[in-house]
Amino acid sequence: MPALLLILAGLASYGGFACLALAMPRHWAQVGGARLRAAPPRRLLRGCGTALLGGAHALLVYRDGPSFGSLLWVVLLFAAAVAVALTLAWRPQAPGAADADGPGRR
Amino acid sequence: MGTTFAKSMAWLHSWVGVIAGGLLFAVFWSGTLSVFDREIDRWMMPATRLAAPAPPVSLDKAAAVVAPLIAADASQWRLDLPTPRAPLLRFSVRDGAGNVTTRDLDPASYALIPDQGTKGGTGFIFSFHYSLQLKWMNLGEWLVGFAGMAMLVLLVSGVVIHKKLFSQFFTFRPKQRLQRSSLDLHNLTGVLGLPFYFTMALSGLIILITVYFPQAHVGAYGGSAQAKAAFTAEAQGRYTRAKANRPGALASLDAMAARAEREWRGGRPYFVRVWQPGDANSYVELRRSYAHDITMNLDQIYFDAATGTVLHRFQAASVMTVQRFISGLHFIQFEHWTLRWLYFFAGLAGCATIATGFLFWLEARRARHAKKGLAGVRGVEGLAIGSVTGIVIATLALFAANRLLPLGAGVAGQGRAALEMLAFYLAWAACFIHAWARPAAAWRAQVRIIGALALVCVLLNAVTTGDHLFLAVGSGRWPVAGVDAMLLLLAVLAAWAGRRLQPITHPSADRRRRAPGAAPRP
Repeated sequence: MPALLLILAGLASYGGFACLALAMPRHWAQVGGARLRAAPPRRLLRGCGTALLGGAHALLVYRDGPSFGSLLWVVLLFAAAVAVALTLAWRPQAPGAADADGPGRR
Repeated sequence: MGTTFAKSMAWLHSWVGVIAGGLLFAVFWSGTLSVFDREIDRWMMPATRLAAPAPPVSLDKAAAVVAPLIAADASQWRLDLPTPRAPLLRFSVRDGAGNVTTRDLDPASYALIPDQGTKGGTGFIFSFHYSLQLKWMNLGEWLVGFAGMAMLVLLVSGVVIHKKLFSQFFTFRPKQRLQRSSLDLHNLTGVLGLPFYFTMALSGLIILITVYFPQAHVGAYGGSAQAKAAFTAEAQGRYTRAKANRPGALASLDAMAARAEREWRGGRPYFVRVWQPGDANSYVELRRSYAHDITMNLDQIYFDAATGTVLHRFQAASVMTVQRFISGLHFIQFEHWTLRWLYFFAGLAGCATIATGFLFWLEARRARHAKKGLAGVRGVEGLAIGSVTGIVIATLALFAANRLLPLGAGVAGQGRAALEMLAFYLAWAACFIHAWARPAAAWRAQVRIIGALALVCVLLNAVTTGDHLFLAVGSGRWPVAGVDAMLLLLAVLAAWAGRRLQPITHPSADRRRRAPGAAPRP
């Protein structure tokens, strides 16, 4: 159960930062290629991203208590944000979007 | 005003970075390793690779075993109880001249473990982290404090000069030329890790506040030895009483520990210390463990050694508790494996921030300095190589020496532990000399040496102790398996970095430069 909560919190942090990254037109276009419309639904993505990060905090506080939970949240967010940045660098396009422009060229 | 301010911050960032970067990397690297200091201890002290003992451990049995090791003039001796990360009873005794001797006991058999002849992670790497092993006039602690201040300056000025902090929040373009990709990585790890680095630098300064800012307690209490003792007693708790100069006995330590656990409502003791052993006025100190809390509590109970009656109880005041909470964030002495690993990777990210900062500084100036005939790049490049790859090689030399030197080795009065540290410093000095002599080739050469040495260390551990990775995993010796796994990871990273650090005129770099859309624009 504690391991499951930790995995959920990790996924929520990663998903939260992924939403925040997709809310930026640069990454939105890069990931989706030409299939997607030009502008991302910024409000929706930002809302989801913030909610997921907040949810991760709630899960960790429930799991480890307020002090350990909050500390864990801060360091986990760092790791999750780096993971999102590395994902964007390693696989800039979502699978199936390869027919679009190459990465970096737009 | 705006541009002038940004320009002066850029100037500040690059110069503080160049001057303090080498020192900062040493502090970050040793601090990152200190996260796993006790695991490194197990790796470097093969005889202490014990299974975690099932409590309870009898302090009285241990005291009987170590009794012959306590000299008549000893001023104090102490037993640290086993923990999951250090599964042994650590005995230490301070003689009349103030010299400390340390021995380890197997908590299952109460047998003394042969001296492993090393300071290990807790004795060397950790003390290097906060004092650089420079004890004269607290010089090392002042230098580390300077590095901590520099870190704060770099973080603030870095945020000011970062033009695209939000639009490049997730930007990393590893396939771009080195100058751009190193700046990307510098910005990425620097911005995302900012809360962590800021907390670590600030809490580090707060931990050593009595070194940097003695005026505070000297002003309030006075500068004499007596005033210092009063400050210590009020802030951190300390009970003393004069010697009776008559022989005295020692009552049951286990009974005192049980009494302390009752008073702490289940809180367990972390160490027991006997002051003025053998004297009629001898007294026993018990400290409460902080394994399950961030705050490193200062709870302590003092007992009369002969009768076991309580003499004094101490709990820190609220200001001191805040200091101990901040210290706890930095020391991570609590048991929490997820946090421990995350701290380790956050520390490595900090090392990457500093190293890529150096790389960007060099790449941005290389062509300009060559045109103007300036020697600055060459000097800084040597400094950067020696302090980044050099200290990694030095650490691996320490590990290799640890596995190669036989137990009891010594040269010219220097013990085995001193020889290990000599290997560290000699390897580090050699890296600096190599870097300044051949700056163009030294990055790649030293990265390759790191890869090779990391593999050698894993092999040496397998050959000299038999604990190869698969056996260590199979038998649950996780500290050993973890250190080996991280050495293998280092070898892989070194191989990757060696390929990435190819000369700038590589054909693929030219091809990339022809795609102008991929250049610095967001």
